[in-house]
Amino acid sequence: MSDRDAYIALVTSLPRPERLFFAKQPPLSRLRLDRRLSDLTPDDRETLRRIEHLLSWSSYGMEDDAAVSAARVEAALDGLESTTLRAIIEERVDLRTVVAALRMRAKGEGPPPGKWSASRLTRHLAENWNDPVFRLDRRLPWLPQAAKLLEDRDPLGLERHMLDVTFRQLQRHGARHFFDFEAVVIYVLKWNIFERWSRSDARAAARRFEALADEALASFDEEDLRGAA
Amino acid sequence: MTEFMLVLGWLGIFAPMALGAIASIIGCAIAGQASIGAMVEADGGYGRFVGISAFPSTFVIYGIVIMFSLNREVTPENAAGLFGVGVLAAVALLYCGIWQGRACATAINASKEKPEIFGLSLAPAAIIEGFGVFAFVFALVISAGIS
Repeated sequence: MSDRDAYIALVTSLPRPERLFFAKQPPLSRLRLDRRLSDLTPDDRETLRRIEHLLSWSSYGMEDDAAVSAARVEAALDGLESTTLRAIIEERVDLRTVVAALRMRAKGEGPPPGKWSASRLTRHLAENWNDPVFRLDRRLPWLPQAAKLLEDRDPLGLERHMLDVTFRQLQRHGARHFFDFEAVVIYVLKWNIFERWSRSDARAAARRFEALADEALASFDEEDLRGAA
Repeated sequence: MTEFMLVLGWLGIFAPMALGAIASIIGCAIAGQASIGAMVEADGGYGRFVGISAFPSTFVIYGIVIMFSLNREVTPENAAGLFGVGVLAAVALLYCGIWQGRACATAINASKEKPEIFGLSLAPAAIIEGFGVFAFVFALVISAGIS
């Protein structure tokens, strides 16, 4: 049996990734996902760990700088033969670099000197720093909307837009992989998006709860004051 | 040279049976693994999954029937014909079995959470079966013309 059939039982034992986004409760906890991923070979498990270590924000500390990120990109790409996985990593690094550049420019900063990111676009960004979308709107069609959301100071909207773009990229790559290792990696990366998505929802819910609580307390105070008068 | 021709003739007779068996082994293994995975996630319909995973087992039967239809005394005159028909039919069965297994695995994966598409999801596997039947039937027809 070829590698394309390497993880049939593992993939079919996972709920459809699209269901992750419609479920009220996560259909698969990280604990259960990790248990299913124990079917991976040691080499594939290590490759997946390196890719997640690179792409998951939670694995970065506040003090980590661009050099840490570049070292992780190098470690993840080292010996990685799959063109699909390499493309996923490169696209994600490009995406983060462009958004970082947008944020730096919004703060009035210029392009950082030297090779400040492992992205292929670093030089292009520096050369087109003053263009609203770095002359990348054809190559990255999602960029104008991201720039607008940043300009509108809508961080939650920007995060959801970026998660949506990332999810679509994974969908595109996943269309050619069904039961192989790439399919498993794509599933795990989608699961990570779902997890961040649900957390951003939780933050929105917390804000809404605070607003409602403030309103309730304000009306309570008014009633209380009227009663006291 | 004559011995070599006789070897090719015998190869042609047994190839449909051997490669048909390999096709069924690989196809059933692929679809079977999918059905086991789906049983972990799905709440019911396990019997259907196991049933689908047995679909590729037909190719070994086609192979056996072709083998019997080709089975005759091998002579230098008929060896090339036996080899050509037998080996090409066997290769066709092998591809059908492997790809039908993959089609069944995808059908199981899709229908485990959406049982309403169960019947439709089997269409690709049924089409592949049709191609296998073509190879089978025409191998029988052609074999009648070999002396």
